Amino acid sequence: MMTKHNAITWILLMALTVIAGLVSTASIPYMIPIVLLLAILKFVGVTFNFMEMRKANLFWKVLILGYVIIFCGIILVLQ
Amino acid sequence: MSKTQIDYKNLYYPPGGILIWIIIFIELITFGIALITMVYYGEQEPILFRDSRLQLNVTFGTINTVLLLTSGFFMANTVHELKQESIPKAKKHLLATMLFGVLFLVLKGIEYDSKIDEELLLSTNTFFTFYWMLTLFHVLHVIVGLIILVAVFFGMLKENSIPKMEDVEAGAAFWHMCDLIWLLLFPVIYLIF
Repeated sequence: MMTKHNAITWILLMALTVIAGLVSTASIPYMIPIVLLLAILKFVGVTFNFMEMRKANLFWKVLILGYVIIFCGIILVLQ
Repeated sequence: MSKTQIDYKNLYYPPGGILIWIIIFIELITFGIALITMVYYGEQEPILFRDSRLQLNVTFGTINTVLLLTSGFFMANTVHELKQESIPKAKKHLLATMLFGVLFLVLKGIEYDSKIDEELLLSTNTFFTFYWMLTLFHVLHVIVGLIILVAVFFGMLKENSIPKMEDVEAGAAFWHMCDLIWLLLFPVIYLIF
């Protein structure tokens, strides 16, 4: 059951990775926010599913989500 | 296998243990600050950073992302199988984890070789100083992660050996941290400039 859950997560991560690669090579508006959003989704996929943070105390969930959102937010503002 | 039930909802026992999570956050903050500094410098020299970024191989970067995430998938399966006390399956998944980790290093080596041939070195310009420093520092983490996984694997090979679940989870968390760092490095270095 758990390996099936991991497999679904892996398929989604692969799809997000391919989309990020395609978006970056296409001349589309909002390319940078889209790429950063995809990075956040992959980051959450790995931490919450592969690292099982979904089972952790709320404090750790907020900390990890807060980190990646603040990081991508700063990158977006600087860009 | 010691089958102790860990209460992950406890603030002091996140999956992998609190110590490894303190290390993970220190690493993420360190890489985060370095990447933000890179983007700041990129704003000072936008044309140089754009031209330099275009000399990187996005396909290599994308394949490396696939390799590391696949390795992370097998690592998650390894932990799951160990919790089920299925040691043979756990060994197979751990071997696959290490194989994809090694493939990541091989591809990174090919990428580095081409950059050296093109004379795009640490001292070439600001972009490549960040590129080499950040990616090499990450590669160093992958190598340390692989050494930890090899130690876990040999621990599983020993008969009558009882690997502690907390130790295996801590090793797995370190390995996943390499994924996390790469997930931040890849878009900033390879895609956004």
